[in-house]
Amino acid sequence: MSRKHPIEIFMPPNILKAKVGGTVAGIDMAAIKRAEAAVETLKTDFQNWIGDDVEKLAATRDAFAQKPDVTARDALFRGSHDLKGQGQTFGFPFVARVAASLCHLLEGVEIAAIPIALLDAHVDAIRVCMRDQIKGDSDRIATMLAGELEARVQELIAPKAAAR
Amino acid sequence: MSGYRFDRLRILVADDNVHMRKLVVTILHAFGATQIFEAADGQSAWSIAREANPDVIFLDWMLDGLNGLELVRLIRTSPSTPNPFVPIIMLTGYTRREHVMQARDAGTNEFLAKPVSVKAILSRLISVIEYPRPYVRTKGYFGPCRRRRVRDEYSGPERRIEDAETNGGAIEPLNA
Repeated sequence: MSRKHPIEIFMPPNILKAKVGGTVAGIDMAAIKRAEAAVETLKTDFQNWIGDDVEKLAATRDAFAQKPDVTARDALFRGSHDLKGQGQTFGFPFVARVAASLCHLLEGVEIAAIPIALLDAHVDAIRVCMRDQIKGDSDRIATMLAGELEARVQELIAPKAAAR
Repeated sequence: MSGYRFDRLRILVADDNVHMRKLVVTILHAFGATQIFEAADGQSAWSIAREANPDVIFLDWMLDGLNGLELVRLIRTSPSTPNPFVPIIMLTGYTRREHVMQARDAGTNEFLAKPVSVKAILSRLISVIEYPRPYVRTKGYFGPCRRRRVRDEYSGPERRIEDAETNGGAIEPLNA
């Protein structure tokens, strides 16, 4: 019996391999070290850049507070999602964790039910992490704060999830 | 890098976040890549993909204009795409399984969850160079085969610390 919609499977020529040549075994470890050193330099620069991103996040928070609609929610989500990725990548795990909690809030709660005070608490926590340069993941107060924010968000989301 | 001549590759890096874009470009430069094209939004990325015909694409999920998934589908299926087989590595802060599946179903070759690291980028490059997957054309899909890839050299767990680190950043295999 033949399929009504045939499936075609084929292996295209490996042009990429032909272009780069070499093998995995030939990878230059010095190049990896160079890349890691360059990333460390970027991490230092990032401490200056991230301040702008945090202020942009605060501005999107203000816009949402004034007019809580899908556009404002999406802009706020975008800013927090960016900070989540950057915090993880550039060595600010608490910024990443609080930003992730903010994403969770914005994704999981209806727009009309998002408490502005809880938004503010997230934005303020991110500001404090930056101001105090909290980089590791062992700061006791930051751990408590992040845990509390996550718990508040979960309280809002849990009834909705249970109702499904 | 003596093993691979990354200077021979044209690489497109599309990310609306200038810091993340700079990070990926910096790492690629350190590997020896010189022909790097940058795009800050989906429309620019699509224009560059058509005009520069890159050999590899690093693509952020969240882009203005066209998002990452829309762009992957265009590159795979548009009549004006110069290379529907171009390897696409999706960078994203999304980490849930449903997101990995969405990226896979759009036609992404590799998925790289943030945090981005030197070893995670190298690992994905090695993957698309050394272990390309067959392509599949069905009524509703065109792109890399979405079934589990079987590597023929060794299928057991990675035991060396170095290997485990090289796999950092992956939350799960794209083709799982």
